[in-house]
Amino acid sequence: MDFKTTVFFFLSAILIFAGLRVITARNPVHAVLHLILAFFTSAGLWLLLQAEFLAMVLVMVYIGAVMVLFLFVVMMLDINLDQLRQGFWKYLPLGAVIGILIAIEMGMVLGSRYFQVLDSEVPGVAANASNTRELGALLSTDYVYPFELAAVVLLVAIVAAVALTFRGPKKTRYTDPAAQIRVKAADRVRVVKMPVEKQD
Amino acid sequence: MFNDFVAPSLYPAAPEIFLLFMACVILLVDLGVKSPRRTLTFVLTQLTLLGCAAITLLTSNTEVVYTFSGMFVDDMMADLLKLLVYGAVMLALFYSREYIQDRQAIPKGEYFVLALLATLGMLVMISANHFLTLYLGLEMMSLSLYAMVALNRESAISTEAAMKYFILGALASGLLLYGMSMIYGATGSLEITEVGERLYTYSVDKSVLVFGIVFLVAGLAFKLGVVPFHMWVPDVYHGAPTSVTLFIAAAPKLAAFAIVMRLLVSGLITQAADWQGMLIVLSVLSMGIGNLVAIAQTNIKRMLAYSAISHMGFMLLGIVTGVVGGDARFALNAYSSAMFYVVTYVLTTLAGFGLIMMLTRAGFESDELDDFKGLNKRSPWFAAMMMFVMLSMAGIPFFVGFFAKFSVLQAVVAAGYYWLAVAAVLFSLVGAFYYLRVVKLMYFDEPKIQEPIEGPLFIKVLVSANGLAVAALGLFPQFLMSLCAYALMRSLT
Amino acid sequence: MLSLSHFLILGAILFAISIVGIFLNRKNLIVLLMAIELMLLSVNMNFVAFSRYMQDPNGQLFVFFILAVAAAEAAVGLAILVLLFRNLKTIHVDDLDSLKG
Repeated sequence: MDFKTTVFFFLSAILIFAGLRVITARNPVHAVLHLILAFFTSAGLWLLLQAEFLAMVLVMVYIGAVMVLFLFVVMMLDINLDQLRQGFWKYLPLGAVIGILIAIEMGMVLGSRYFQVLDSEVPGVAANASNTRELGALLSTDYVYPFELAAVVLLVAIVAAVALTFRGPKKTRYTDPAAQIRVKAADRVRVVKMPVEKQD
Repeated sequence: MFNDFVAPSLYPAAPEIFLLFMACVILLVDLGVKSPRRTLTFVLTQLTLLGCAAITLLTSNTEVVYTFSGMFVDDMMADLLKLLVYGAVMLALFYSREYIQDRQAIPKGEYFVLALLATLGMLVMISANHFLTLYLGLEMMSLSLYAMVALNRESAISTEAAMKYFILGALASGLLLYGMSMIYGATGSLEITEVGERLYTYSVDKSVLVFGIVFLVAGLAFKLGVVPFHMWVPDVYHGAPTSVTLFIAAAPKLAAFAIVMRLLVSGLITQAADWQGMLIVLSVLSMGIGNLVAIAQTNIKRMLAYSAISHMGFMLLGIVTGVVGGDARFALNAYSSAMFYVVTYVLTTLAGFGLIMMLTRAGFESDELDDFKGLNKRSPWFAAMMMFVMLSMAGIPFFVGFFAKFSVLQAVVAAGYYWLAVAAVLFSLVGAFYYLRVVKLMYFDEPKIQEPIEGPLFIKVLVSANGLAVAALGLFPQFLMSLCAYALMRSLT
Repeated sequence: MLSLSHFLILGAILFAISIVGIFLNRKNLIVLLMAIELMLLSVNMNFVAFSRYMQDPNGQLFVFFILAVAAAEAAVGLAILVLLFRNLKTIHVDDLDSLKG
């Protein structure tokens, strides 16, 4: 095994372990942390595939922003941990068998000769070529339209998240000194005239 | 590096650009609108849709135009579907005006803005000629719809429906993307027409392609809501506020038809034999399960949800029978029958939900079948309208639903799938039972509620016109049918 | 020797894990959301691998957009989750039973 292959297997082992822990962890906080590990390892694998820009984006934007958002929400909600695991172990064997079957079936197609393109057959990227420059140039020419659409999708997310969770400005109580000074006795005390009621 | 790049023409995308601009303007203007009725926001929203329709009409031509480096396509099919989408959204917003007014928890301004952004997503889907724009349009529409379902913030049942819709919708997007990645791997292109050409000229590894198509069809089936990927449909129809149910039941079906046409017909027509088999199974299952389960429902929204599942299954028959064994003689007939089916279904369902919403009050949903008992005594006119809708959905002759079913069946028979035609007719007969039950409840049962139907005159006129259109199109279906056929003829080359 | 298949099979394993996660975790909505993130990661792995082995940058750009949309999706999903928790005081899937799909 050459060096690249060794690195690949090392990173994929971590990735698969992290992925399994995401769906089996008892505590949702642990699940999020393992998901972060999975993303971090994927970034390493993408470096192996010479997609430097995406690897960077994945770490900085995805882990830095989206996963932290997940962590916030998980910690904010007061979750009853015991309830969450009920029935999990009962379904685990069946789930595991189905999962392994899916993976094997997909693997049979994907391992076909069609995809046996060896790493050595693909020319490497020149040392001075910039992945970021290449993607940036495409992004601002051919991909202008999707770029704008992605902006609109983010706008939708902003409008949706605010509309769903915003509950109006908080009505805090505070004293207004000007109103306190201006107040008159008539505002505070009301004299009511009532006829005398007879007692039975 | 990209010195030969020419700035793309923005002209074909003028309706989308106008809609986005106005959605942003309305978002800002709404901040200043203080009235709880939000009349200004509402009027601006409707004017925007009207403006889009005018722009689409003015810029439409019979040529197929590509722009944005082949990511955007503007053809007759896109123009026609876009005009119908504007119409469906406008009607849906008119009908929902009073309904959302009566429900305090729904933020009114955001409701209209999200509806406009969902409409923009549909337009992007309709004009998509690239996997990426298709996906972005789909997400733009779906994210707006998830939020709209949950917009009645104090209703636990709406939030629950939104959560289910979100999880299953995200799963569907994942499946769709996995399929797209496989087709990219097999053909090396992401542009839909380019994929079609490469499949035509180069030989591509078959197993990989079929593998991709399986995921692609599963993702599309989720979005169309056909069996066995239909679990979200009844829950979302039932749980969402009725105004949002109406929105989801109408215009998105047109966009879903468009992406099925773009992906399967424009992109993967050479692989028709592979996806047709899958679609036939989905279609028969949807017609069967949709119609049978609908009988057991006591809630009219759930009943119409199962009816929607069966109608989508019926529509798929038209797409299945286009090209059989490399024979494309009947393709145009088959696809235009499917398009006619979708268009008339959207029209009928708008009238149906519009009538349900007329019966609602603040704090009363009127979505149980029992609420329709004796409607004839309360308002003979609207009972007649509801009867038109139900008879049309059942496919009783001389309503528009009959011609829609008839033209799809013609295509099925022309393609030689006789057993499929027989199955479709049998399931439609089963379906007629629960539609006619609603008619029976309206005419032969004693009313539970006595109060007459109230509502603004304008909405009453609009609902009546919608109901009468269902009847009138049944008498004169030829115009709309030939319009669909002409649009498709100009678009598919 | 490293080949395209290696990366695709890794993607398939991740995909299978996320599918199993969705069907197994009938209890916990937040893990469902994470399983969906994992599924998108497997799709991204495919696209990056194809892009490298076909020498075509379009696949990498697709991933860029998937990441952007996934972020928007996570925001909306978490907003609905917070709303649900506020209304029901639970994110236990079994408690979502007023609608029987």
